[in-house]
Amino acid sequence: MEPRGEVFVLGLILSIVVLLISVMISVWARRFTRSLGDYYVAGRSIGALNNGLAMVSLALSLTTFIGLTALIIEGLYVAVAVYASFTAAFIGLMVLAAPYLRRHKSFTTMAFISERYDSKTLRYISVIVMMIVSVLYLAGNLKGIGIVFFFLLGVPEIVGIVVGGLVVTLYVTLGGMYGVTYNQTFQTIVLLFCLMFPVAIVMRTLGASGWVFPPLGYGDMVPQMTEAVPHYFWAMVAHPVVYIAIFLGSFIGIIGLPHFVMRYFTVRDAKEARWSTVICVFLVGLVNTTVYATGFAAVYYMQAEGVDIPSAAYDYVVFILVEALAGDGWLALAVAGSVAAGLSTVSGLLMIMGAGLIHDLYGAIKPEVDDETKLKLSYGAMFLVGVAVILFSLDPPEFILEAIMWSFGIAAAGLGVPIVMGIWWKRTNKYGVGAGMVVGTLIAFVSWIMIGYMGMDPVDIPFPFFAKYFYGPLGWIKVIAVAVPISFILTIVVSWLTPPPPENLQRQVDEMHGWSDVDPKRYNGKGLPIVIIVLSVFIMWFMTTLYDQFPK
Amino acid sequence: MNNDSKRGYKLEVWVTAICFAIVAVTGGFFSSVVVIMNEVFFHQVPTPENLVAAYGETMFVFKEHLSVWGFPLHYFLLVVLSWFGATLVGAIWCLVMDRLEEKQRA
Repeated sequence: MEPRGEVFVLGLILSIVVLLISVMISVWARRFTRSLGDYYVAGRSIGALNNGLAMVSLALSLTTFIGLTALIIEGLYVAVAVYASFTAAFIGLMVLAAPYLRRHKSFTTMAFISERYDSKTLRYISVIVMMIVSVLYLAGNLKGIGIVFFFLLGVPEIVGIVVGGLVVTLYVTLGGMYGVTYNQTFQTIVLLFCLMFPVAIVMRTLGASGWVFPPLGYGDMVPQMTEAVPHYFWAMVAHPVVYIAIFLGSFIGIIGLPHFVMRYFTVRDAKEARWSTVICVFLVGLVNTTVYATGFAAVYYMQAEGVDIPSAAYDYVVFILVEALAGDGWLALAVAGSVAAGLSTVSGLLMIMGAGLIHDLYGAIKPEVDDETKLKLSYGAMFLVGVAVILFSLDPPEFILEAIMWSFGIAAAGLGVPIVMGIWWKRTNKYGVGAGMVVGTLIAFVSWIMIGYMGMDPVDIPFPFFAKYFYGPLGWIKVIAVAVPISFILTIVVSWLTPPPPENLQRQVDEMHGWSDVDPKRYNGKGLPIVIIVLSVFIMWFMTTLYDQFPK
Repeated sequence: MNNDSKRGYKLEVWVTAICFAIVAVTGGFFSSVVVIMNEVFFHQVPTPENLVAAYGETMFVFKEHLSVWGFPLHYFLLVVLSWFGATLVGAIWCLVMDRLEEKQRA
């Protein structure tokens, strides 16, 4: 897609309105911040509806607009499976972690890991993992805002990155978690309207009989699609382990992503944490299924109308469709929605990075510093992190959705496993977690460097040694089916071979589950670790099977 | 651990395990099952001549009688179960945990 030759005034006005309202909300929310707890976790006062809406905008980053549709055009059914798994993963996050983390009373994932296992070393390691994951997740989003400004509004990309970055840095710094939460709630509402309505109009123009409800409104177009693109609904183009890797990356990865987990520390109690997730998964599903419809519409449009959209422009296909089939007014809405989507995710990530550096890193190095000083330092740190990210985003990874999928994998192996095991198995100790975290993170991160950063063919990488099985569509994603199982196995085996954690740490597990008494037999059986080890070994073995049956 | 708390503990663990397993299958493993049991959802038919170069001698066609609202059954299940299905399972789990929490407080 060629950049617009002139400024798209209506889109620019709506985008500026979104930016201005975001700053105003933060200025308004600032009055609620009086302590460190207010700044980082909104005084633990957020209700289920508010938190659910905030989580939706955190989940639906700019990739929803400019990445997922492109992925569907290229990956068809497999791409839909990725996001279907991501949608359902919120329930995994809820049943395995959310209410238990809320009862633990930490501020961040890193603090939870450090306190649950009583280890400063694990705190430092988890801060490093958090920074890797967050930077991968964040840079693409900020770059995306720049792209939207450049291609659709006629404003240079660098202006978009700097303006968008400064606005979000300003409102995160000013408003803290209160500002971030209310902004994310506002952005979710904007995003829902700005996606649903333009897509409905596009579906109507293409002739879908169920256009009023795009998520399930294009069934009557399926015969024409299967005639034009027979493999659109084929699940069989990928090895079954690809879907298992997607499942592991989504379900364990979301538990490991600190900016999602941090939202649970802001709610009033465990009940609010639970119900906010149900609200979130319903709305995330609504948006994601709408984007599946958009991806379908894009492929249909290209085939039925004979329109040739170059692959380099797939990222903007939502806007191309809306402009061609709905008109400039709807396009302006879609642009404003995408800006809101980008801002919300960036704000959540900035928040966790600032908290990680000041609360978890500086606070651990200098424990004598009081909360008031930490609060003052937090304002400065948040601003500096924002500026650093803006600079980094001027040259981020190319394919933003792929970078985010890698961050899910690294988060799953590095942070998701210690959280799950720390909640559900008392016997887990710092030695096991240290081994699992370090090796799991290294497998995923080194693989990202070789495949995602250096561009090596997945089957040619020297580590892990059976990389020849990383073949086929999204073959690299099988790295997650190695990193996560190995992280689980090491955590369990090393914990078993080393002394059990002291009683006060084991008591935390009972407390997280809401029990006022302590019983050494609860959450301490052999069943769970054995099942996890068997499944982990099975997944890795399964990857090496059916070698000749799928495209290389 | 008295009997009530033992019962509560077992309820929590089993309900969580079952809910997680259901969501893991519907939102995660489901597509693996479709790949492995593809003959349930698809016919294998000779490829039309003009498509042989792209798809080989045989190709898959989803079974017409296994479609819902026009969608192939496996696609419909993937989309709906990972959304409505997950929401429903989550809501049921929440209700059970709300009750358990009340008992724990009592």
